[in-house]
Amino acid sequence: MADPKIEGYQFKPGFKGMASDTGSDQTMFKGVHWGKAMMWIFLLSDTFVFSCFLISYMKGRGSTLIDWPNPSEVFGLHVFGVDVPLLLIAIMTFVLITSSGTMALAVKYGYEKNRKMCGWLILATAIGGLTFVGMQAFEWSKLIHEGVRPWENPFGAPQFGSFFFMITGFHGTHVSIGVIFLFIYAYKVFAGHYDNKKRGWFTSMKGDYVEIEILGLYWHFVDLVWVFIFAFFYLW
Amino acid sequence: MSEEQDNNKVVYQAQSSETMGGSASPSPDMDYVRPAEIPEQDLYHGHSFITKWVFCQDAKVIGVQYFLTAVFTGIVGLILSWLMRLQLGFPEAAGFMTAEHYYQFVTMHGMIMVVYFLTALFLGGFGNYLIPLMVGARDMVFPYVNMISFWMFFIAVAVLMASFFVPGGPTGAGWTLYPPQTILEGTPGSGMGILLMLISLSLFVIGFTMGGLNYLITVLQARTRGMTLMRMPLTVWGIFTATVLAMLAFPALLVSAIMMTLDKILGTSFFMPTIIQAGEVLEYGGGSPILFQHLFWFFGHPEVYIVALPAFGIVSDLISVHSRKNIFGYRMMVWAIVGIGALSFFVWAHHMYVSGMNPWFGFFFATTTLIIAVPTAMKVYNWILTLWRGNIRLNTVMLWCLGFIVTFVNGGITGIFLGNVSVDVPLSDTYFVIAHFHMVMGIAPLMVIMGAVYHWFPLVSGKMLDEGLGKWHFWITFLGAYSIYFPMHYLGFIGVPRRYFEMYDSPYMASATGMNEFISMAAFIVGAAQFILIYNIIKTLKTGKKAGQNPWKANSLEWYTSTVPPEHGNFGERLPVVHRWPYDFSVPGAKEDFIPQTTPPSEVVHTKVEKT
Amino acid sequence: MTDIKEKEQTSTHKIGIYLWIWGLLFVLSFFSYMVDWYQFQGFLRWSLILIFMFLKAGLIMAFFMHLFWERYALVNVLLWPMTAIACFIFLMVAEFEYTLFSRAFYFVVGGGVQ
Repeated sequence: MADPKIEGYQFKPGFKGMASDTGSDQTMFKGVHWGKAMMWIFLLSDTFVFSCFLISYMKGRGSTLIDWPNPSEVFGLHVFGVDVPLLLIAIMTFVLITSSGTMALAVKYGYEKNRKMCGWLILATAIGGLTFVGMQAFEWSKLIHEGVRPWENPFGAPQFGSFFFMITGFHGTHVSIGVIFLFIYAYKVFAGHYDNKKRGWFTSMKGDYVEIEILGLYWHFVDLVWVFIFAFFYLW
Repeated sequence: MSEEQDNNKVVYQAQSSETMGGSASPSPDMDYVRPAEIPEQDLYHGHSFITKWVFCQDAKVIGVQYFLTAVFTGIVGLILSWLMRLQLGFPEAAGFMTAEHYYQFVTMHGMIMVVYFLTALFLGGFGNYLIPLMVGARDMVFPYVNMISFWMFFIAVAVLMASFFVPGGPTGAGWTLYPPQTILEGTPGSGMGILLMLISLSLFVIGFTMGGLNYLITVLQARTRGMTLMRMPLTVWGIFTATVLAMLAFPALLVSAIMMTLDKILGTSFFMPTIIQAGEVLEYGGGSPILFQHLFWFFGHPEVYIVALPAFGIVSDLISVHSRKNIFGYRMMVWAIVGIGALSFFVWAHHMYVSGMNPWFGFFFATTTLIIAVPTAMKVYNWILTLWRGNIRLNTVMLWCLGFIVTFVNGGITGIFLGNVSVDVPLSDTYFVIAHFHMVMGIAPLMVIMGAVYHWFPLVSGKMLDEGLGKWHFWITFLGAYSIYFPMHYLGFIGVPRRYFEMYDSPYMASATGMNEFISMAAFIVGAAQFILIYNIIKTLKTGKKAGQNPWKANSLEWYTSTVPPEHGNFGERLPVVHRWPYDFSVPGAKEDFIPQTTPPSEVVHTKVEKT
Repeated sequence: MTDIKEKEQTSTHKIGIYLWIWGLLFVLSFFSYMVDWYQFQGFLRWSLILIFMFLKAGLIMAFFMHLFWERYALVNVLLWPMTAIACFIFLMVAEFEYTLFSRAFYFVVGGGVQ
């Protein structure tokens, strides 16, 4: 975020700033909270997890001799007598982006110490996430009903089902974990834990609104991963 | 938070004006170190036995916990290697052992030693103990997560050990766990054994991620005043870079473990091609075993450096302290560590030259592999140049360091052989490979661990280990290790394949029988010699002589704690302020041959001290 | 651009920037959906998918995750490791082509045997 004032330290922009930040004592990421730096590094590690999943998917799909099913048809919905390709996926994307936007605003209001607004926006994000998980459950059950299994499917290469359930399942797990934390943090915000710096239940460390930004980073990352899954799995 | 921070600022301002000689003038004084920008860390002090010693949030206790657990698994791995050598050297004496047992022992020995022993010991053990002390922090930045990290590791070890007792025993697929044979019937432990192995690895990765985040953020964001990155001891640099590698490489292991678990229990075919087993076509089809190898080695090669880099860092510090000379080319050493770390992500398929991958890859990976030899060689030259005309103290620690350099050069040179495709193809899967990697990432890091134990034991316990026993320990281990692995190079050249339970009556094996018996005898002796260290530790704890503060006259911050051994919070009332790198040894003009990192420049004006 | 630089001085950003990005994300998602709707095929389809994907990912990272306002030290630490992934992707493309080739060669054509 914006540069804080640090006693005795001159902020410089761009690569010069990077050099002087890196060469300075105490901290490398100036003014970045420990928890936020940790979340960033964790997300970097998690990016490698999803990258490995998607690379495996690329290798599997690229080298199969049996035709890969056409995702546009497989994930299509039949509504009002018309076949709409990828309708459900489009709605899921819409929901996830909506929740990402509310989360971004929640972070903003959190920094402005607007407790009510921040709490409601986190709650909205949580509900968006919950809707997404629900729609994913619907999608899974629809595909299972049509005979798609992790080990086989009626449309083509058996790896289609394997990769689909594994990758969306892993992403869905991330969303679910995020939703649980969103509800917890919505409670914590409404209860004013960050205004009176109540200590955490487990870590017994003092609370602060920066935790909302950390949670926000995680939530945007989940959205980010969906962007890649949407492009590579559903559209490609 | 802001209010609290302001309060702290006031305190620190007072402190900094104090170091400026009482004058509050903003003109930069010689000893000026800018005030603290991070507030004092909020520490949770345990009160009961459980919160103090079991579920402890003090990084030092967690480090010792990691160390002891890793040593326990290491001893299990050692016993397994004895059993393997018994079978290879004296098959008639090992009648109780079947081929299945042998494969299980090979697999568990490999996995335990690489992941649960060396990685956990270096990063979990030394990392936890030394990082906060060396960078001048009160503790790791997330003590609670750190505690969970150890207990995840503990559960992972428990799950791994449990696989010895399930029906079918532990997996016997080789430590690389290559599909398809790993999960097919006929491979020992293809039922519960492999599942427990995969679960244990996943738990290890999750636990390690928690610990790794702590190490990284502590180094990046919680250094003390004046501690720039280029003033950190190389130990911290090595552990830090290894942790970065671990954070980026373990995901590939996690992913391959998840996918193989699905192949095993759900019958997906990520890695499984169409297979006929006992005349019957299995359900699998269309998977790619090569994909597993790529994922595994995308993890596996950085893993080699996860073990090697902390060893590089620690040995640099030990050599510098015990030859009373600054490390030669400190910045070069740092950049070599970083460079090796970065390059290690681009060399993985040199483990796969014979796997049937795209043949063009051989060229790419041979090139990158040879490039990575450059920074590694630079480090070796720098160690030797540090020793050059130094005031070498030939104590146990220094002996281990010298042993490391020799062993590492040895293993490194055979690595050049194996890095070239045309040389690797005939040598791959022979004892030459075994000799190479045991030299370079088995014995060499182990020597550093031993040196580090002798070096830092006075800090951890406050007592000096016995030098005489230490020297016996070193010489038996050093000569014994060479007796084990030197002949193995020869065995590899005559074509003895690795992982074979029995050599039967192959003509070339007849000439190697005596050699095999010799290697086995040496292995028994070297293994037994390690218990000298355990005896030494127990004896020292009971009757050893007191070490006092800073027995080696070192400069880095861990020796300047308020008490020995350091208590929770490490540095007492005030955190140290750092003015220099930790290698100011034998500075011309200085009163003593070492200048601690906390000595301000005004006290050493008339010396030819390095500007750092 | 200059507008944003000025706002860097305050601790939070104006709500407008978030709403703008939010809107852009919807539009880009709509476009990438349209790629499928109109059934573009071949190179055009892949390049459009990738362009929209990277634009969306970039916007989320730069503004929602505040990377645009972060200092270069953090940004570079986060982005450089991606070269390892890029190398992995690049090599795995070569690998799957080779696997496909050898499968077609041995399983379909029947290998070198007459």
